[in-house]
Amino acid sequence: MDKVVDCRGMACPLPVITSKKAIAEFTEDGTMTVLVDNDIAVQNLTRLADHNGFAVHSAKKAEKEYEVVMQVTVGGGEAAPEPQEGWTCLPDARRKDLVVVLSSDRMGSGDEALGKKLMNAFIFALTSQDAVPDKIICYNMGAYLTTENEKAIEDLKSLEAAGATVMTCGTCLDYYGLKEKLQVGIISNMYDIVEAQMQAGTIIRP
Amino acid sequence: MREKTLRLIVAFASTHDAMAFEETCLSRGVPGRLIPLPREISAGCGLAWSAPPGEEAAVREALDAAGIREQALRPCLV
Repeated sequence: MDKVVDCRGMACPLPVITSKKAIAEFTEDGTMTVLVDNDIAVQNLTRLADHNGFAVHSAKKAEKEYEVVMQVTVGGGEAAPEPQEGWTCLPDARRKDLVVVLSSDRMGSGDEALGKKLMNAFIFALTSQDAVPDKIICYNMGAYLTTENEKAIEDLKSLEAAGATVMTCGTCLDYYGLKEKLQVGIISNMYDIVEAQMQAGTIIRP
Repeated sequence: MREKTLRLIVAFASTHDAMAFEETCLSRGVPGRLIPLPREISAGCGLAWSAPPGEEAAVREALDAAGIREQALRPCLV
């Protein structure tokens, strides 16, 4: 069964409470799409899915329009421990001082195929951290991550929905002929890229 | 912090045009350098050629020689 739960306009913790009720109504495995209007709700719903062992991804559809999609498994939902009081409404998980720089479509130097797998794994792992980076900057071959790499795009969309600003170097998009293919985030310029890194307390560069 | 100076800025339609223009300028001895496109010229992104303000004639000749049509050519504080 598939279900859409509209939690737009609801203040925390109502989106989580409403979603928990909706999950309880599942009699068979299915997909539950929750619509919310803020990135904190996305973070809390992602946590709810994680607690239940459900696969989850999210995306920012427009300004104040977010979608969280959970693969609800009936057994998984019932088996999950009841979350502790208070976690349903945790504060913003964004780390304002944290910037991730993706300067290539691969991680490390060496075999190209391995490097690409590692980069996808890195971005996936980024989505499973408690903290959300404030900015994710993609440049040079990193521009391929926001335009052509489907797995990376899905994970970057989840990070964007959780509040991260995903920025891709416009000069690089233009150079590689990718300008019309941007799938996630915004086109940025060198001044913003420098500014973001100058203001960062921590820069992670895989 | 570097003090801003008046420069002649050339904006291009593509990154490839900007890079090709740099080659042309270097080979013709036209002074200047590639810089990120100043925000004052466009909110967009890309590379621009920054030349001394008195070099407009040489810059225009280089554009003709390279067969490149600029998107903007004007003075700017950078």
